[in-house]
Amino acid sequence: MISGRKHVRAAVFYGFFALVTGGLLLQNMPGEAVAEGTSGAAAGTSDAAQNECFESIKGATELSKMDNVVPKYGYPNVKCSPATGAVLWYGDPYGGTEPMGEMPSYGDHTDGDFAQAVIRPRAKSLKTLVQTSMQCSGCHPGADQATQQNDARQIMMHQDIVSDAAKLQHGRGAIWCFDCHNAANRDTLVDQRGQEVSFDESYKVCGSCHGDIYSDWRMGLHGKRTGEWKVGGKKRWWACTECHNPHTVQEHRFQPIKPEPPPALPRGMTKEDYKAADEHGGH
Amino acid sequence: MTMKKQIASASQKPIAFARDFFSYAIKGGNLYYGWLLFLSFFVLVGLYTAFVQMTTGLIVTGATDQIVWELFISNFIFTAHIAAAAVLVVIPAYIYKRKDMKDLAVLGEIIALTFVTIGLNFIMFHMGRPERSWHTFPGLGIFNFPNSMLTYDIIVLNVYLGINALAVSYLLYMRYIGKPMNTKLYTPLIYVAVAWGPLIHIVTAFILSSNAAISMWHTAVLPFAFLSMAGASGSALIIIFFLLIRKFSKMDIADSVIDFFSQVMAWSLGIIILVFAAEFFNELYPATHHAASLEFMMHGHQGLDAYVPWFWATMALIVIPFFLLLSSKIRKSYSSLLPLVSFVVFMVILIEKPAVLVFPAFSPTPLGEYAVYHPSFIEIFNVLFIWAVGFITLTLLTKGAIGVLTGEVRDSNTVEASGGAK
Amino acid sequence: MSEDKRKSKMVEEQDDGKEQDNGKVKESRRDFLKKMGVAAAATVAAPAVTAATAEAVSLGETFQSHFELMSDAQKEKAVARLEKRYTEQFGKQTTVANTPAPDGVLFGYALNISKCIGCRRCVEACVRENNQSRDPAIQWIRVLKMEKGNHTFELENLDKGSPDSNALGDYGIQSGGHADKHVGLSGSAEHYYEPEQVPEDDAIYFPVQCQQCEDPACVKACPVRATFRDPNGIVVIDYNWCIGCRMCQLACPYWARRFNWGEPVLPNEDMNPKTHYFGNRPRMRGVMEKCTFCLQRVREGRYPACVEACPVGARKFGNLLDPESEVRKVLATKKVFRFKEAYNTDPKFFYYMD
Repeated sequence: MISGRKHVRAAVFYGFFALVTGGLLLQNMPGEAVAEGTSGAAAGTSDAAQNECFESIKGATELSKMDNVVPKYGYPNVKCSPATGAVLWYGDPYGGTEPMGEMPSYGDHTDGDFAQAVIRPRAKSLKTLVQTSMQCSGCHPGADQATQQNDARQIMMHQDIVSDAAKLQHGRGAIWCFDCHNAANRDTLVDQRGQEVSFDESYKVCGSCHGDIYSDWRMGLHGKRTGEWKVGGKKRWWACTECHNPHTVQEHRFQPIKPEPPPALPRGMTKEDYKAADEHGGH
Repeated sequence: MTMKKQIASASQKPIAFARDFFSYAIKGGNLYYGWLLFLSFFVLVGLYTAFVQMTTGLIVTGATDQIVWELFISNFIFTAHIAAAAVLVVIPAYIYKRKDMKDLAVLGEIIALTFVTIGLNFIMFHMGRPERSWHTFPGLGIFNFPNSMLTYDIIVLNVYLGINALAVSYLLYMRYIGKPMNTKLYTPLIYVAVAWGPLIHIVTAFILSSNAAISMWHTAVLPFAFLSMAGASGSALIIIFFLLIRKFSKMDIADSVIDFFSQVMAWSLGIIILVFAAEFFNELYPATHHAASLEFMMHGHQGLDAYVPWFWATMALIVIPFFLLLSSKIRKSYSSLLPLVSFVVFMVILIEKPAVLVFPAFSPTPLGEYAVYHPSFIEIFNVLFIWAVGFITLTLLTKGAIGVLTGEVRDSNTVEASGGAK
Repeated sequence: MSEDKRKSKMVEEQDDGKEQDNGKVKESRRDFLKKMGVAAAATVAAPAVTAATAEAVSLGETFQSHFELMSDAQKEKAVARLEKRYTEQFGKQTTVANTPAPDGVLFGYALNISKCIGCRRCVEACVRENNQSRDPAIQWIRVLKMEKGNHTFELENLDKGSPDSNALGDYGIQSGGHADKHVGLSGSAEHYYEPEQVPEDDAIYFPVQCQQCEDPACVKACPVRATFRDPNGIVVIDYNWCIGCRMCQLACPYWARRFNWGEPVLPNEDMNPKTHYFGNRPRMRGVMEKCTFCLQRVREGRYPACVEACPVGARKFGNLLDPESEVRKVLATKKVFRFKEAYNTDPKFFYYMD
């Protein structure tokens, strides 16, 4: 009888615990634990689908992803974000660039690393209305009598670029279109002294008023550069208008953009746990 | 005699010792088998969960980049408590030469070496690539001593394990073959073990307190908190341990021994309270960001309050047993209240490790994130697996040792006859 | 007296049990031993199972020494092994470079917090470049959002604070007011913001990644020297040497280090095949990883991916030993600070405002 009791005891132990733990384990297999925690960034969309993207701000430069631009590694020219359509990564940082124009050197700390600088040209890609692919001079052929006066007034066209020309969103009424655009030759810009400046060197126009920023830009402290980090290395300098739209800078210096998705929450935490943190409040 | 025969004859006795020791150890009554079967169940389940973890990785635990430590390392710290506290048995026996504890020192050393082994198992489960452990061996790999605190712990734990294993096997073997020990070698070994016990725990505390990035651990009181918790939890285990041995075996353990440990437990709890009070004052009076983790435990943070009940329950269950143990009535109730209070103290310090010391310390993270730890079932069963293996080892070693100590396991060639048993 | 009787009675009962069940005792002992044997064998076998089933890692790779201690021939063999394994795994020709650190270069980084708009493109560019696991999703850069504090002051809170006007310690003489509000760079940061547009009003954004400290707490903590400082000052990890103990993750005051809790999942089409041994080569389960300043790019002369991705040009990178570099010019002309400078780890990642 004692031996029977021992067997029964063992059977009860094993049976009970097998039921309990078997049930628990089956509910909580490792695969589930992994799946619970991933959200946000790892949404499962591979990059392969996204082929069109914009650099810095929409409207400045749109790029198409081209595969195998750097054949040695099979690099595409860019990798685009599936969430926002922005360029995230450059396989070839110099695509579509040309050497920068002549840069004045002042012999002080504001001199930059000009020798190997390249820039994305703008002049040849200028188009006016969507239907045409003419340069500006196609519709505005040379100096016009009426435009000698530089008073702010409404214009009938280019509303997509400047919505209300009488209230130009740049300079709070101190400047108007022809302070930058060359009335005599609409395919170019003009600086403070009335000298013609190519669209490829538009930074010289911006710099004639925004001198501090322009100095910083020349040194590489303001604005963006891609390419090689060493001094004297080949770098693509990003021009002012690749980040700033001079027609709307008063609204936003840099146009707000959609951010990339947030990181994955720590496993076991939910969005609700962090919701209280989103409201303005103390500890 | 040829070399072969010499080795054969010289090794006969140790082999016989091991054989007799273990064959005695696995003999027992219904309750004994019931206990071993109960533990072996967790071993069986744990074999599966360990396999899952070893092949899938630590992602099967609840640990994340926000809460980097899991239940394994939290339990490791607890086993370091117990292992260090085993010197509580050795010190009265050898240094104070208390007659009532003379034979019990070896039981304390068995507890020490078993719990160090359990701790090392926990470390194996805590590592991301345990098969690369050989990278730490000096010579084979790179041992970043003296820069890395972990290397200090590797040294002290393994030396402590070695000392205790050596001392235990030497004493029991000599008792088995009926010869006196060479005290010239043995006594210094014991003294080293006694000094080493607190040392392993101070080094373990330094592994935590050396991290300036985790402000809750970056405090000088941590070694003192650990040592006093070792005193409390170790005493609690030893009390239950000795009461069970007294009840189920032929070993005589006097009441004075139990009283000694219940006093050590009481005063250790008192020191814990003092240490915590000092630390809480230090943090909460100026209430800087350094106190953020403590405040998170005390009242939660913007709705994340999972740790709050654990914290307050732990504090209550440290304070209440302290006051209970001040009453000699409770200390003397060997069959009911004392083991109950000891069990509560053991469990509360075990639970305090993950729920108070480890997991809340990671919130806020250095970048200000708060997170709550959710242990997974695979992790829990792996913890139970390691504990089960450890308790099986402890049970078998203790049983065998008791056999040797009570005279039931003796070399058949010696004149001294075994008394009473078969 | 009674206790002794009780004890001897117990012992007798045990003996009785043994006598009657002599045969059964022997059987269960045998079974028990068998089970223990199985348990022991399985525990020993477990690590072997790990290596075999996780990935097809060769014995040569399993037993290779620390990369810095290898001879050049051994390094070439190690690199070739990895190239072969990655090429097979990802189905595209992968290069694992072993480009040495350029001489006379100390890499430094500067981030303009006046400009950062919190768009997280740096985070995503880093992921595209450095072959992080997509599931679980690992990101080396974390962008924090903090409030400028323009909303935190209200008339009702004028007397709030410590001690409160109605509480113990108030003797009718006000001492506290308007406390407990966060302003500007503070310990209260949001990580999971998800607005329609950035930058939001009243927000400052603060990206954090490995600060490449000169006195790194992580390097001190590593028990096997798997993480160490390369000749250019970048703190690197030998992924094949790391044992996964995560002491470095505890030590880092910047929360910069990430651990591969599970086997990383990296889709083949997203994998960047141009890798470096210490940089962006795909990692395995159970090892640490972190920002390496795009070591595979900067050793070849190119900017890190985050620098090139930032749409507002907030990130600057260069050689701290070259006075003409952009980073040095930032240090010379801007208001610069180090993050958590009190930890004395001397980061080479500088934050500035203009």
